[in-house]
Parts: sequence; C-alpha cells; structure tokens
Amino acid sequence: MASSVFEEYETIDLFASWDSKKQPVIQLNNLKKWFPVSQQSLLFSKVISNIKAVDGVQLFINKGETLGLVGESGCGKSTTARVTVKLEEPTEGSVYFKGVDIFQPMTKEEELVIKRQLQMVFQDPYSSLNPRKMVLDIIKEPFDIHFPDMLYEEKESRVLEILAKVGLEDYHALRYPHEFSGGQRQRIGIARALAIHPEVVLLDEPVSALDVSVQAQILNLLHDLQKELNLTFMFIAHDLSVIKHVSDRVAVMYLGKIMELSPTGDLFRKTAHPYTVSLLSAIPRPDPRIKMDRILLEGDVPSPIDPPPGCPFNPRCWKAQEICSQKSPTLDEIRPNHYCACFFPEI
Amino acid sequence: MSEKKPLLEIQDIYTQFFTESGVVEALDGVSFDVTAGEPVGIVGESGCGKTVTGHSILRILPKNGKTIKGKIIYKGINLLNLTHNQMRSIRGKEIAMIFQDPMTSLNPIFRVDDQMTEVISLHRKVNKKEALDIAIEMLESVGLSDAEKRIHDYPHQFSGGMRQRILIARALALQPSLLIADEPTTALDVTIQAQVLEIIKEMQKKLGLAMMLITHNLGVVAEITKRVHIFYGGRVVESGPTEDVFINPQHPYTRALFDSIPSIEKDKTRLETIPGNVPRLINPPKGCRFHPRCKYATEICSRERPEDVWLGPKRRVACHHYEELDLDVDEETMRERVKIKEEV
Repeated sequence: MASSVFEEYETIDLFASWDSKKQPVIQLNNLKKWFPVSQQSLLFSKVISNIKAVDGVQLFINKGETLGLVGESGCGKSTTARVTVKLEEPTEGSVYFKGVDIFQPMTKEEELVIKRQLQMVFQDPYSSLNPRKMVLDIIKEPFDIHFPDMLYEEKESRVLEILAKVGLEDYHALRYPHEFSGGQRQRIGIARALAIHPEVVLLDEPVSALDVSVQAQILNLLHDLQKELNLTFMFIAHDLSVIKHVSDRVAVMYLGKIMELSPTGDLFRKTAHPYTVSLLSAIPRPDPRIKMDRILLEGDVPSPIDPPPGCPFNPRCWKAQEICSQKSPTLDEIRPNHYCACFFPEI
Repeated sequence: MSEKKPLLEIQDIYTQFFTESGVVEALDGVSFDVTAGEPVGIVGESGCGKTVTGHSILRILPKNGKTIKGKIIYKGINLLNLTHNQMRSIRGKEIAMIFQDPMTSLNPIFRVDDQMTEVISLHRKVNKKEALDIAIEMLESVGLSDAEKRIHDYPHQFSGGMRQRILIARALALQPSLLIADEPTTALDVTIQAQVLEIIKEMQKKLGLAMMLITHNLGVVAEITKRVHIFYGGRVVESGPTEDVFINPQHPYTRALFDSIPSIEKDKTRLETIPGNVPRLINPPKGCRFHPRCKYATEICSRERPEDVWLGPKRRVACHHYEELDLDVDEETMRERVKIKEEV
C-alpha cells in the first residue's frame, strides 16, 4: 500500500471509510468549470458570457486502471484534469477522491494529504521544469512541501531511488534541465510526480511533444511504473492510437461533455457515438494498403462560449434529427460498462 | 514512369549551419528526385533535416546556414547558381511552399484579400480586379464557403483549418509545378486534419502537381504519397515506393520506427523502442549516423559511411547489414513479405 511508505510522517487518516474494491478512486459528479468572459466599461467590468470549458462531466476511475481521456483541442480535457487535482475550483459539481469530497472545507493538513496523492505530469517537458533548479531540487521539492520533517539524507536517497526507477543515473541529479533532451525531461517530470508515492497520476499529453522513437520509451516506462507502484492513471491525449495502447477504459470528450465512455476494446470495435465513429475514421493509418471509408465532418468545433443547444455535436452530426438540437442526451449505459450520450447510438 | 526526366533532382547536397557551438551538419549528402505530378513524402523525426531540405531547395535558409556542396536541379537549371532576382521568380511561381504553423504564416494586420492578391499580382500579369477573382476562385476550390465575403476578413477571424486552406489556396494560385508542404496538418486536430488532407489530395490530382510532403506522421505519408524518403540525422537512409517501404522496410531505423508507433489495428503489445535519442548534428556519430542506436551495428558501422544500395530502379537503402536483418524476423511476417513481393 502506497501510503504506508510515509506512515511515520502522515498522521491524518482521511480515507478510513474508503473501500477500494467497491468504490472508485476518483468520481466526478456533474463537474462544471466555466471561465467568465468580462467586458470592461468605463468603471465596471461586467461578465457577459462564460466559456464552458467543462460542462457537466460524469466520470469515475477505478483503482489500478488507466482511464484514457481523448478529444480535440479545446474540448476541456486539461481543465477536467486540473480541477481533479484541485488546481482549479469547479463552478459546479464535485470531485470525490477515495470517497472524500476534495472541495469540502478542510484543514491545510488534510488538503496536503489529498494533494500528495493526486499528482500531475504536464505536456511540455520544456516549460514544466524550473530552468534555475537542479534536478535534485526539482524532485526534492515535493518532499519539502509534504514532509518538512524528513531528514535531508532521506530525501536525497529517495530522489536517487526514483531517478533510477525512471531510467536516469545518479549524476543526473546535479544537472540542470537544459542539459537534457525532451524525453529525459519528461522522465524528470514523471519522477517528480511519482517521488511522493501518489495514488493517482494525471498525465496531460505526456508524450505528444516527443518524437515517436522516444514516445515509445516513455509509454513503456509508464506501463512498467504503473505495475510496479500500483498506480491509477488518467491519461489525456489527442492521439487515439496512443490512447488505445495505454488505456483500460476510454472517455471521449467533445465541447466539455463526455460523449462516450467504455472499455477500450468496445470503443474501437463496437463504437456507439457518431462523434467517436468520425474521430476513428479520421486517423490516417500508417499502412498504404488500408483504404478508409472516411466520414468527413463539416466545419469546425463550435466555440465553448456559445455551444449549440441540445447535443453539442448536433451541427456536425450526420445522424442529427430534430430532437438533437432541442434536448441534451444523457450519458446512458447502452451495454454493460459502455456509456454513450446520444439519442441514436450505433448498436 | 521511370523513364520520365525528374522535375527536381537533388544531387548530393550538404547544408551546414555555422553556430557559436560549432558547425551543424544538417544535411550530409542528400540525394533524391521528384517526378512531375508525383507526391513524394519526406519522413523523419525532429532535427533530421526534413525542413532544412525544403529551405535549401528554395534557398531561404537563415543567414548562418549555407548549402556548401551539391546540385539542386529544377527543370534542368541548378538553383544554387541563380542570382537572388532569378531565385525570386522561382519561389512561389515555380516552387511554392506551405509551412507548418497556419497561425503565424499569415500577417495578422492585413486582410486575407490583400495577402492573396499581392502574391498573385507580383507573379502574374493581371490587374487588381482579376487578381481578386483568381483569389476568390482559389479559396472556393479549397472549400472555403462564402469566399466572396470572407476574403475581406482578417486572419484571426479564421480557424486553424481555414487558415491552412487559405495558405494552400495562396500557394496554388500561382500554378506552381512543385509544392513543398512542410507538416501541413501537424498543428490541426484529427477531424480538421482529415478535411485538409482531403483537399490536398484533391488539388494534387486536379492540378497534376508534384508535391514534397514533409512530415513525421507516417499515417499522413501512407495516405498521400506514392514514394517516400526516410531521413535520419541529415541523410536519406531509405527510399522507395511508399507501399514497398511501409510493408517491407529494409533499414533498421525504418523498421524500428514502424515498430515504435502504437497502432489502432494491432492489439496491445509492448512497443519496440529505439534506445537513446535523435543525434545532435554538431559532431554527429561517425560512419553510419544510426549506429549508436542500432541493434545490428558492428565495427564497420562506426567507421564507414554506408553507401546507397539500389534494390530496384527507385528503391534504395543505406545500410551495411541490410541483407542480414531478416534473420530474427518471425515466420508470419516473413510469409507476409514473400506474398507482397510476389504481388509486386
């Protein structure tokens, strides 16, 4: 059990009532995050509309699994992740981590316990590491925050231990980020997130800035670390082939809403939502023999400031009928564990 | 096809950048050709010289970069010998280029009509009215709806996919013989990428355009091109008809590259990785530039640069050991390869 590693430092037990077999690690309930758009007049600024980045997301993640979150740019993937790790306050809805609502009023100590177990790896390995700090200090920082009483020697040995786990050498600890390649930096980012033994790691496009040959190294590393440390992943990507490779279950997002949520195999073989169908057909396959019958969507993703009424996908959907622009479909279970928000799913 | 004289012939070019930390050998003896009307793919990872190739052809390298050796023969003329003014008449009119980032390739303070008609009236003998008509017609042909009105908008009023369409329209308005497309869909979302690829394919067929598609996305190459050149560390390591290279790759790098991409078709297996990183081209590895990462490398690989071995009229590979590689291939792949060879 991960938390036992730091038993001597952590005295609060927040999650006593949590049963890992019955309850999901993370549960998002009708999560909304709206960013206000304001207009400046002479004296006052007035909120004229909202960017509905996340607009009613219903999602759960079970212990030990990888949930892939896929969608096009601006669909709210990253905002969902940022709210889940408490980097942003939600506008509405709640996030339950191990049965505890992380946005309920709590003491600073309790908040730290929660934040320690929810870590994030960012997309850009160039801007997510402080260029003025040595790798040792970058990875040591989480210990300074969460375990200020820990001895320096212990912190240092834990840093070296995690460095070895992500495939870097001891001497790398005394170097600065600019001395590393993109792939190595992403390893440092992963080491920083995993150093304090989190329960859940949110990976926000961890490989999209990397070359394919390096991408494969990082994907394999993440897979090994997940097994070894018994981690739960939420893996955000826009590349469906990467998502298929890493995920146990996949959630497809479009304009701040979950369109389809299902085990990976079902999503690719028994695709239900028209948006997922078009997304799958849009990927160019690296095999010249495959000739795709491609479904070309018309137009662009609508703006999240003024999303279309009803189903957000209805203006581009080839199956859309009158009801689609009037009522918003709910995320229903169309077969065991396979959820789809559509009035006319493909079955 | 093989008898036709190539439209563009690149013969053994060396492009270098002179920087404070040393000479970057960005292109190191690159040769390939493009036949008229043929879509050709240039594939490789970042820093392998794909973009530099495009820039070398158009001679738009930054000040510290220079093509020091070799020939770039376009329609029988060596572009490297032309004066600046002569070169200006080639750029755009003969060889056009579209760049990766549709957000920065258009000037934000001019309307689209100005930016398009400027190019057209510079190179073609038309008056303003005619230039505008040509621009509108081009925009319509790349699928911009309501082009007559929207042409008077500013770039920021268009989405990324639309801007890339405008750039394609602007490049093709001069009826070039060769289009160099540098990662034209990399900055776009998959559904938009599919739209833009469809337009590129359509325009290429309609205009009988020769095209050099520079990309790292193997899927895009498979879809659009007929022939492909695989770049690694500033050299062409393998080239040939796209289908043959994809199904039957000969160079260890090409094989490793294909094995390292996760696939939608195949089921979950562990990815093959290439150890190490893409080499820096200041003091690149001696001999074969892939040898430090290659599992087949022997002593000769670190000493001698491998020569191009021609396996067919348009098929070559630069590896000392390509013949020995099949030893560890499993039976199923082997059978598939034999089948394909018979078909070809």
